[in-house]
Amino acid sequence: MSTCLRKLSVLLLLLLALTGCEERSQRVSRSQLLMGTLVDIVVVAPSSVAEPAIDAAFAEMHRIENLMSPHVEQSDVWRLSHQPGPVTVSAETAEVLRRGQIVASESGGAFDMTLGRLKQLWGVESATPRVPSDEEIRTALQGIGPDALRLEGHTVYKRRPELQVDLGGIAKGYAIDRAVAVLRQSGVRHASVNAGGDLRLIGDRGDRPWRIGIQHPRQSGELLATLDLEDIAVVTSGDYERFFERDGVRYHHLFDPQTGRPARGCQSVTVVTDEAMQADALATAVFVLGPQRGMEFLRQNRAEGILVTASGEVLVTPGLQSRVHWP
Amino acid sequence: MKQFWARMLPGDRVVVLSLLLVAVGLILLQLGRAPGRTVVAEVDGKVVFTAPLASDRQVSLPGPLGTTELQIAQGQARIIASPCPNKVCIRMGAVSDRGELLACVPNRLLVRIEGGDDHEESSYDLLSR
Repeated sequence: MSTCLRKLSVLLLLLLALTGCEERSQRVSRSQLLMGTLVDIVVVAPSSVAEPAIDAAFAEMHRIENLMSPHVEQSDVWRLSHQPGPVTVSAETAEVLRRGQIVASESGGAFDMTLGRLKQLWGVESATPRVPSDEEIRTALQGIGPDALRLEGHTVYKRRPELQVDLGGIAKGYAIDRAVAVLRQSGVRHASVNAGGDLRLIGDRGDRPWRIGIQHPRQSGELLATLDLEDIAVVTSGDYERFFERDGVRYHHLFDPQTGRPARGCQSVTVVTDEAMQADALATAVFVLGPQRGMEFLRQNRAEGILVTASGEVLVTPGLQSRVHWP
Repeated sequence: MKQFWARMLPGDRVVVLSLLLVAVGLILLQLGRAPGRTVVAEVDGKVVFTAPLASDRQVSLPGPLGTTELQIAQGQARIIASPCPNKVCIRMGAVSDRGELLACVPNRLLVRIEGGDDHEESSYDLLSR
């Protein structure tokens, strides 16, 4: 072939290459029903990286569900509730319990992992919720508190045999953190893991920070605010997600362990911090503590957040001010 | 250009023409892939149904609790009947945009919209609630 012809062929081959043979980064989104909620994972990467990474992340969350779901027979949490004596759990469940105990203790018991019996009594998430009597509530609260569980290595001792452990306020966050760790190990640099509105971000979205909408606690389908964030976890606890109404009163699922009744200080609390597990536990604790003590508790834990008080006033921690956009 | 063409051997001409044809064909294929939106339904993580959002239909999707009725009409998908206790899936209303989801957790059903253009950007990427 002549030189010119050779050049022409090279040009044509380049043209071929431009038609899409090279793998580019794209947004790959997949969802699964896990831990009683909808889990949505978005990865920005070539699909040869994204697809196996998402598979591995979902498999990891399944593994955590099997360890910590109260509905899976013989799971660590199932055994903690069904066995009266000491229970030896996996290293991971022990670590989640240990971290939960720290938040429980530092919040003066506002966060509590032993409210299983109280939650069953109210049945907020069941088909037949009801308002229990004062006597029933008193009974369900017996033995709960930050010292209700004692950990020695991986063995858990319950203060009272009838205590029922509920990791609802922390296990989902841990599962999100594990999914994020697996995605990172798979080489993912831009991703989000969203489990029913509790979420954690890896990097930015690829082209700009992730925009996180915060649900308005009283206007369904409306946003309270949006936050521009990257590489962080965001968890919201609100009284509007799971509740029932009797005689015009809303009874929601975030209980004050001191009264055994739904906490009344806040409409919603959004916590922004590094780990989803910590954000999950803090959001519950702050909601129960109420606006004043809750904002102070966020500061003590070096976490950021947005709190909507019972009267609708919106409080924002100083570190988040520059990232909030109001509608 | 004429000179190059004249100087080419017949075999070279075949190579050049073939490459040109393949390149043009691939470009046309990509342009022609203007995506239509698709409804994808999964039960327990397995895809059990896919259909274009543009054609109206009603489909019965069996799950562990019984049958969930999915309606596709006027470019929107919605759940119109479900055996689950709280009917949260029905109250989710209609979806039509790429990435939007309907879910019935008790009946292990997930419906999502795939395909379509990406430019109708929402004011947020993820919702914390």
